[in-house]
Amino acid sequence: MIGFDPQVIHSLPTLIDGWLLTVELTLLGATGSLVFGHLALAMQLTRVAPLRWAARLYISFMRGTPALVQLFVLFFALPLIGLGGRPMLAAALTLGLNSGAYTAEILRGNLRVITAGQYEAAIALGMAPWRIALRIALPQMLKASLPALINEFTILLKTTPLASVVAVTELTYAGQMVIARTYTSAQVMLLVSVGYLAVALPVIYAARRAQRSPRTPGVERVATGVAR
Amino acid sequence: MTFDLSVLSGYWPELATGLGSTVWLCAAGATMSGVLGVLLTVGQRRGGPWLAAMIRGYTALTLGLPLLVLLYVMFFVLPDFGVLLPAPLVGTVTLAIYYGPYVAEVIQAAVAAVPAGTIEAGVTIGMSPVAIARRIIAPQALPLLLPTMTGLLIGLVKDSALLSVISVHEFMFAAKAVVSDTYAPLEVYFVVAMVYWAVTSVIHFSTRHWERRLGRAHRVALPR
Repeated sequence: MIGFDPQVIHSLPTLIDGWLLTVELTLLGATGSLVFGHLALAMQLTRVAPLRWAARLYISFMRGTPALVQLFVLFFALPLIGLGGRPMLAAALTLGLNSGAYTAEILRGNLRVITAGQYEAAIALGMAPWRIALRIALPQMLKASLPALINEFTILLKTTPLASVVAVTELTYAGQMVIARTYTSAQVMLLVSVGYLAVALPVIYAARRAQRSPRTPGVERVATGVAR
Repeated sequence: MTFDLSVLSGYWPELATGLGSTVWLCAAGATMSGVLGVLLTVGQRRGGPWLAAMIRGYTALTLGLPLLVLLYVMFFVLPDFGVLLPAPLVGTVTLAIYYGPYVAEVIQAAVAAVPAGTIEAGVTIGMSPVAIARRIIAPQALPLLLPTMTGLLIGLVKDSALLSVISVHEFMFAAKAVVSDTYAPLEVYFVVAMVYWAVTSVIHFSTRHWERRLGRAHRVALPR
């Protein structure tokens, strides 16, 4: 029961492979999240109403339904476009699409740190709109969003076990396989937990530090200029 | 492969029963995490340094562990130690264990945002701690609490779908049963997604309504 079982040692490679796949899924999901997040934000900022509606609909759906259901819908919808039988693709895409909606909201919330005066100054200097977006808005928005984005990254990590339900052998599924083989659930689940905490806790700590660290004077001035 | 919702006819009662248990499980889970959140807040503020450190460790654990892993630990590891509980109970308790620390963090942030001067004023005019909590802290903290609590409740409803993997008979579990009967996964999960979307939207919009009312009351109380 609780005594140490040497069989667990032999299962370590399975667990390590699972852990690596979990990290891979998280990184793929984070990349997708940033891409979809920026895309949804850009769509919301256009003058084309249908694009804005589509972005709002996407964000509302992703935030309003369980990621598990989204995964199943995507997993069974992908064969329709000839991409069936790829659980890893379905899982990574679901993670990216799901987290992208939250990323879009984070970015939109932090767009407010850029005051109207800055846009006016940029226009007065004759900067092109895309240049203003790229060189004035984007850097400040990203900097202000950083703590929340790091937080979103840990949530993404915690969503990856869902991939196990479509038989992606990430850490949780690898753990299940080892338990089925060795009947040592306590030790294996402990190892699995350590695998997640080893990634999550340093990231959470980093996010806390990023939040606490005194902001650079420039950003501070911008932040206090919000109320207008 | 075609998309045809009519395959679902005849299975609606099954899905409705599942949705009913999801509502009950979520209500129980939310109540339990609310109680746990208050207890953790009190423990953190009034308990000794050891209790506070333990609560911090527990909070870090739930912030870093996936809910699914926590569910598996509760469902597969506890029986190893002779604790055999029915799946719905394990599920709701795990939801509460997972969401309790989040609730506690939200409460603490809202209480911390209450201006200290107003509490000191209450102390000065001789109000009891209970009266201060009820008439000074609560009216100011509740409007701050509501939006985040709504977010947590929506998160809990969505996460309750995970209970299906430990065979709790809720909405998602009913959906899986229907899928294995109809072989129409896309149609079933599409409907499931729409229903969850409707439920979370109802929660979202109804609390937005309350938020506005509380916000109004709050504004009136402010000095001009």
